[in-house]
Amino acid sequence: MSLLAFHDVHALYGQARILNGVTFEVGAGERVALVGRNGVGKTTVVNTLCGGTRVAQGRIELRGRPTKDLRGYSAAQNGIAIVLQGRGILPNLTVEENLLLGGATARRGPWTLAKIQELFPILSERRSNPGWALSGGQQQMLAIGRALMANPDLLILDEPSEGLAPVIVDDLAALLVQLGTDGMGILLIEQNISLIHRVAERFYVLSKGSVAESGSLHNVSRDELQGHIAI
Amino acid sequence: MLIQLLNGVVYGGLLYLLSVGLVLIFGLRQVVNFAHGALFMIGAYIGYSVAAAGSWWGGLVVAVVAMAIAGCVLDATLFRALRKQDHIVTVLVTFGLLLILETLVTVIWGKAYLRYPMPDLLSGTVDIAGSPFPVYRLFVIVVSIVVALSLASWLRFTRIGLYVRAASTDARVTSIQGINVDRLSLIVVGLGTALAGLSGVVAGPLLSLSPTMGNYILIDSFIVVVIGGMGSFGGAFVAALLIGQIHNFGAIYLPWAGTMLPLLLMVGVLIWRPTGLSGART
Repeated sequence: MSLLAFHDVHALYGQARILNGVTFEVGAGERVALVGRNGVGKTTVVNTLCGGTRVAQGRIELRGRPTKDLRGYSAAQNGIAIVLQGRGILPNLTVEENLLLGGATARRGPWTLAKIQELFPILSERRSNPGWALSGGQQQMLAIGRALMANPDLLILDEPSEGLAPVIVDDLAALLVQLGTDGMGILLIEQNISLIHRVAERFYVLSKGSVAESGSLHNVSRDELQGHIAI
Repeated sequence: MLIQLLNGVVYGGLLYLLSVGLVLIFGLRQVVNFAHGALFMIGAYIGYSVAAAGSWWGGLVVAVVAMAIAGCVLDATLFRALRKQDHIVTVLVTFGLLLILETLVTVIWGKAYLRYPMPDLLSGTVDIAGSPFPVYRLFVIVVSIVVALSLASWLRFTRIGLYVRAASTDARVTSIQGINVDRLSLIVVGLGTALAGLSGVVAGPLLSLSPTMGNYILIDSFIVVVIGGMGSFGGAFVAALLIGQIHNFGAIYLPWAGTMLPLLLMVGVLIWRPTGLSGART
């Protein structure tokens, strides 16, 4: 089943057209990468999904249903959790409060506060600390933990490797593969070729606001993918 | 001295009731609501009319409920639309609303100063450290403390309170967690304007009613919000008590500089901590 689909989506910030006919799809349990260099519209895809842009043309489907009036909460209420670029940690809330916020939709599933704290023990140790007091890597754990608290069917991560040490990126890759294996859809929006190659099965290359290439990552080498991103 | 301190707490308590509404509305909607003083004033007039009809306590309830409804209507019709506008637009629109509401009150109740009655139950004085102190002023302190504790508990220990604190920090991130921030705002703005109505009624017997009665206290309330840190509930409480004392002692010991002192304190705090005493970290 398709969890998220963009069909020929054109999106604008004010009068500036950022997406020029983006088409892609992520199904249940799929691990998909949306790749591209800076400024091609990757984050605009997330913003459009959250109702932050004006969709001039095309349609967006959540769980196979066309959705016209997208709001910030629409994705979450349709089982899609988003780890924002920059992580979106609420700095004055404690670690535990940030996690509880992720459970706002009250969807049932395997992920609970205890389970997240078991996965990331540091979040349990620092549960009373404010979000701003965490390191970059810990904030990324918190952002992913908060997203998992929603028990999503699809997890979208926008540039999750940004600013992380290589060893933490390795852990992140292993976690995302495991989540995918457990049946969660993953949409990884990234530039980090190594992470993309380890996590995703399919890819879409975004260039100048539209999809320039797509296919299976099994048939594409890292160098070829790097070449696609350089389009 | 103790009596003067208590008088400062009375004014600080009123400031808190008004400024916490500003904090709530600014946090959720990013709207600097210049009409908040007018809502305080209308609350006082509504309470006055019901009290004049025979029930002071009925006036309190009616004013709070009426201002809560007014806040919900304002949020749905005005503040929601102002959310994405430049701050100068929100200032101009809410200032325009202030003028409209003042004119409306002038048409209904006239320009003349009105004297708000005091409930019989709360008239008279009590002896504190050998000096008489009005019972009504103690009532104002109690109301302020009850509201502050209730609000703090609601924000700290309930799920909706968590959502309110989250949305006050970052409405977009909160919304992405699946929370309908517009619906949340309706509750929060309604609560903020209800508190403006409550403070108007509670302040009524201490002030004379006039269409411009909210303007002076609104300036002090804005100072409280800035000193406390935009969007900070705890900061507003501390700052309100501080301004209450400065206002009171300034009037006694430095009457020539009384109105300047809160502004000077604000400038000093902004130089020391540009985000206020408990301003949000980013």
